[in-house]
Amino acid sequence: MNPEEVEFLGEKQLISVIPTFNSSTIHLVSGDIGPFRASLPVNVPLWVAVNLKQQRKCKIQPPDWMDVERLELLKEAEKTSRNFVKMPSEHYMIEGKLLLSVAADDISRADEVRTIIKDIWDIRMSKLRSSVNTLIMGKSYGNVDNLTIMEINSMRPLIPHAMDQIHRMKMERSRFGTPSQSVSLALLNSSNVASTFK
Amino acid sequence: MDINIIENTENPQSDESEYEEIAHTAAEVLQLMEEAWLNEKFAPEILPHKYDIVECLLGQVSHVEENLSNVHNDDLRRSLHQMELDRLRYLVSSYLRLRLEKIERFVYFILKQEEERSQKGEENYLNDNELNFAKCYGQSLDQHFTDQLQFWPGNIPAEWKNQLIVPNIYSYVFMKAKNEIEGVMINHVNEEEEVVDLKTGSQILISYNNVGHLIRNNQSCLI
Repeated sequence: MNPEEVEFLGEKQLISVIPTFNSSTIHLVSGDIGPFRASLPVNVPLWVAVNLKQQRKCKIQPPDWMDVERLELLKEAEKTSRNFVKMPSEHYMIEGKLLLSVAADDISRADEVRTIIKDIWDIRMSKLRSSVNTLIMGKSYGNVDNLTIMEINSMRPLIPHAMDQIHRMKMERSRFGTPSQSVSLALLNSSNVASTFK
Repeated sequence: MDINIIENTENPQSDESEYEEIAHTAAEVLQLMEEAWLNEKFAPEILPHKYDIVECLLGQVSHVEENLSNVHNDDLRRSLHQMELDRLRYLVSSYLRLRLEKIERFVYFILKQEEERSQKGEENYLNDNELNFAKCYGQSLDQHFTDQLQFWPGNIPAEWKNQLIVPNIYSYVFMKAKNEIEGVMINHVNEEEEVVDLKTGSQILISYNNVGHLIRNNQSCLI
């Protein structure tokens, strides 16, 4: 999947905006939005919010997690926990990226927020890479709880493909069952393969 | 599955009794379409078609288009509606395209399976148009090979026809459980079995052959 397609999915997330215009309810297929009253907050899908902001028709109210203190706490939790921490939003990376690019003036301490989100992403990605090791070492399935779609997508072609290849080799071994076959698999089960992901 | 849309507030006086029991709001249909799109995208094999959803959504699209013709060009509504229409169209055409790609890749295998299904009286996975396309595509492929192989010196090889290109149903996919699922069997190569229980919303990387039925009967979706 392209990152753009993940973004497409993330853009239906609801977000609160303060419009600067008046309009009655708009009946979109994905649900009604509005009525818009100037300076009264209203929830709209992210793609609408971005569009309105670009036309300077609204101010965006950043989601409550997009706040330096809360993100710092989250970052600490992510650092100390062995597992992945549940993110405040299923599409935190997309919301962060879109809002920081079009509405940086509506977010307090936008630069700091940007850095922390990036930090959290980096911590999670390095955790992900090391957990791939355990996954490949022999289990035939892996839990990816609390990972967001963007994160899952970032390991998309590689990990499932590697698992496919391992499965294929195991099939061959079970078919022939000769000792010479297991040499290559002993290699496989060592960290050699996993280390190529680092 | 019959899907009808309850007209949303634009038409509040409509009589609901004329609709079938399984009625969805337009937003729910959109949600179903997204799910079907992702499932089709990541499943190695072709899945049962969801043309009821596609048609429902396309109906909505033309409905909105009709209404839009009465709206002024510079109206804010227009640009928002137009953007949404583009999003919907992308979703639907991407879904249909994914299916066509699969049909082209596995054409002989899919045709064989569809034939087996009709013989057993099961429901086909392809809709009529797709089946037609598959048949025509298969025929022209055959024709093409026959034409080209005329120039083959000696006996014309026919062995390849028995080796169908089949989807790799063991390929690994990311799956999300839509509700609690107990006792997912995981088959190992050495014929051992492992049982896993999934909680609602839990996500797992797993071989497709273990969970294909869960996708088809809508208990979980691919992500």
